[in-house]
Amino acid sequence: MARKHVLAVLGATLAVGAAMFATTAASQSTQRAADDPNNASLTYWYWGEDDAPGANAWIKKEVAAYEKAHPKVKINVVTQSTDTLISAFTTVAQTNSGPDIATQWATLPTLTPAWNGWSVPISDYVPASETKNWIGTAENMSGGKLWAMPQYLLGIPFVWNKAMFKKAGLDPSKGPKTWAEFLADAKKLKAAGLTPFGMGNKDGYGGAWFFSLIGKQNLDSVAQLKAAMIGKAKFSDPKYTGFFQALADLKKKGYLNSDVASISFPQGLQLFQQKKVAMSWVTDGDAAAAAKVLGGAKGMGVGPIPVWGKGKLATSYDTTQSSDAFITKWSKHPKAAAQFLVFLHSPQVLKDFYAATGVFPADKRFPASLVTDPLAKEQLTLDHSAVSVWPENYVPPQVDGNADLAAGELITSGSGSPADAVKLWESELSKWKSQHPDEFKNYSKWVTSG
Amino acid sequence: MAVASEPPRRRQRRRRELWPYVYVLPAFGAMAFAFGFPLVQVVRESFYAGSFAAPVWVGLDNYKGVLDDAEFRTSLLNNVKLLLAVPVMLGLGLAIALVLNDRIRGMRQYQAIVFLPYVLPATAIGIAFSFLLQQNGVLNTFLRKLHLSFFAQDWLGNSHLAIVSVGGLVVWQQLGFGVVVFTAALLSLPPETAEAARIDGAGWWSLQFRVLVPQIRPIVELLTVIQVITVLSWVFNYVYVLTSGGPGYSSSVMELYIWRSFSSGANGTAASVAVMLLGMAAVLIGLSLWVRRRAEASA
Repeated sequence: MARKHVLAVLGATLAVGAAMFATTAASQSTQRAADDPNNASLTYWYWGEDDAPGANAWIKKEVAAYEKAHPKVKINVVTQSTDTLISAFTTVAQTNSGPDIATQWATLPTLTPAWNGWSVPISDYVPASETKNWIGTAENMSGGKLWAMPQYLLGIPFVWNKAMFKKAGLDPSKGPKTWAEFLADAKKLKAAGLTPFGMGNKDGYGGAWFFSLIGKQNLDSVAQLKAAMIGKAKFSDPKYTGFFQALADLKKKGYLNSDVASISFPQGLQLFQQKKVAMSWVTDGDAAAAAKVLGGAKGMGVGPIPVWGKGKLATSYDTTQSSDAFITKWSKHPKAAAQFLVFLHSPQVLKDFYAATGVFPADKRFPASLVTDPLAKEQLTLDHSAVSVWPENYVPPQVDGNADLAAGELITSGSGSPADAVKLWESELSKWKSQHPDEFKNYSKWVTSG
Repeated sequence: MAVASEPPRRRQRRRRELWPYVYVLPAFGAMAFAFGFPLVQVVRESFYAGSFAAPVWVGLDNYKGVLDDAEFRTSLLNNVKLLLAVPVMLGLGLAIALVLNDRIRGMRQYQAIVFLPYVLPATAIGIAFSFLLQQNGVLNTFLRKLHLSFFAQDWLGNSHLAIVSVGGLVVWQQLGFGVVVFTAALLSLPPETAEAARIDGAGWWSLQFRVLVPQIRPIVELLTVIQVITVLSWVFNYVYVLTSGGPGYSSSVMELYIWRSFSSGANGTAASVAVMLLGMAAVLIGLSLWVRRRAEASA
């Protein structure tokens, strides 16, 4: 009798298991077969608020409008944090599951998932007649394919507070053009009892920006940076790392805010509009927000980053398409995802984005006539500079996180010298090579073949 | 033929003996799936580099790489430094428990106040303290107003102080747990011993440290082991939220090192450190079991 019971329980367990397997398999095949762009449930991991304040509200509004126009499409927007943008996706992607649409920063953070087989080329789903209007697509090309959709242009202008300049006896209409001018202005501002330059670097992003804005200036091209990443050039060469001394000098001379090492990067971005520092560099979105507080062009000035280096990139600007959206490999609705991303580039949505954030959409169809504010016009001109490079895009995400961010922290906290920072970079480059042989191979291939 | 010749009673007994194992089997299977499988996977993964999809066999290279890595050594050293928080936690906890044990007025309220931080989420506390401890945060502003500028330090931005700040936060939160455990232990002691000591003329200090504390010694030992394990492998939240391991890696700990490695896709490296941490925790858990057994035996 007991044996019969055991057999019955085992039989029932097997039957339930088989039924569950069959149901799952059937539902999967049904889902795969039904990639209807107008009938899908999508999860979108979105990031943009830190670059473009107002972006989170904008995406929610556009999703609601899209769902209204496509009643059978449901889009679940999950906003992402800056600190974990790369790590959260990398972690979830290793299980071959996660969102249908993900957001990453341009180039390496976007191409690395592509090389790992976690995303599909967006150019396979969106016609060239559409993508030709998108700006900055070159940042996300690999193997002749486009892997992501740019959303907005992100320029980092240098900004100064005109009232503070006046107080320090400086010409408020003129921002520093060279590093020598910048240091001279900083000296006068400090003498006037003001904090010359503000940023936050508890999380390392302040230092990473310093690398991207100042560090690139001794290079002639991005190719030189790529060569250093794969060991074909020595990163310890002062050409690459001389900027650490410039950062250390700012700290030593007391030109940085005293809490630079203990406040976060987003807190640091707020210092300028809080009138706590006289100079800074901020995103286009933050510059727009600051203009509202400081009284527009009367209260603040914007301009290019002061020239520090002697390379060809010294006078380049820093526009990047910053964050972009791509479709994941495991999405069961790539067509639906692509259709929604194309919607985000429709004329009205582009206008809505600019109205909500003050940041320019990465699309040639965005009418420049909408930009009427004198400061914003200046920013748009800068964003469309002939040469624009954001070097951080070309640093492997692991090296960016473990070396680029941490090395700057050593300097701003005063706990390490420029030599220590360089040593850290070299150690992390070597670790990346040994821990990610596949990524290293793909990167090297990309460097040589594009 | 052999089965047929076996007496039916013996067969029945054997079946009865086997039944408990059948009942245990599902739980055993679940445990093996939930704990055994991941454990084996982590150990296996520690010998590979690259992604899960394209693992590359590297033997002991992950372990060698980790031991050669200055960042790992700093993380390990920080875990050791945080161990210094354990005697502080226990000493303060015991002192407060002894005072409260004197049935002072408002004892329950004091107990609740001391215990409150323990029930607050570590993440929320970490965020609050990350604002309080900034260079121009609430603590330093307060100190400067009291003309104690010398004490106003960059608690999070100074590489020497960041780990001290983490330790301070751990003590602040875990203190309540120690107080509650010690108070419970003291309240469970037979009052006759203390009464007898008082009649014999023992002063307050003698009563506490010669009569009461020796009686709760097994609890002190047990709590010591528990807090050591906590400090070794449960401090990720505090470090991540308060300092993210910085400046540089000056306040990193082993858990953060594992997380950082795994989240950048260096699975093999993360696995090798996880195996090392598991080994250390296993030793401490063994010690904890030994202490507990001793405590039970002496009870």
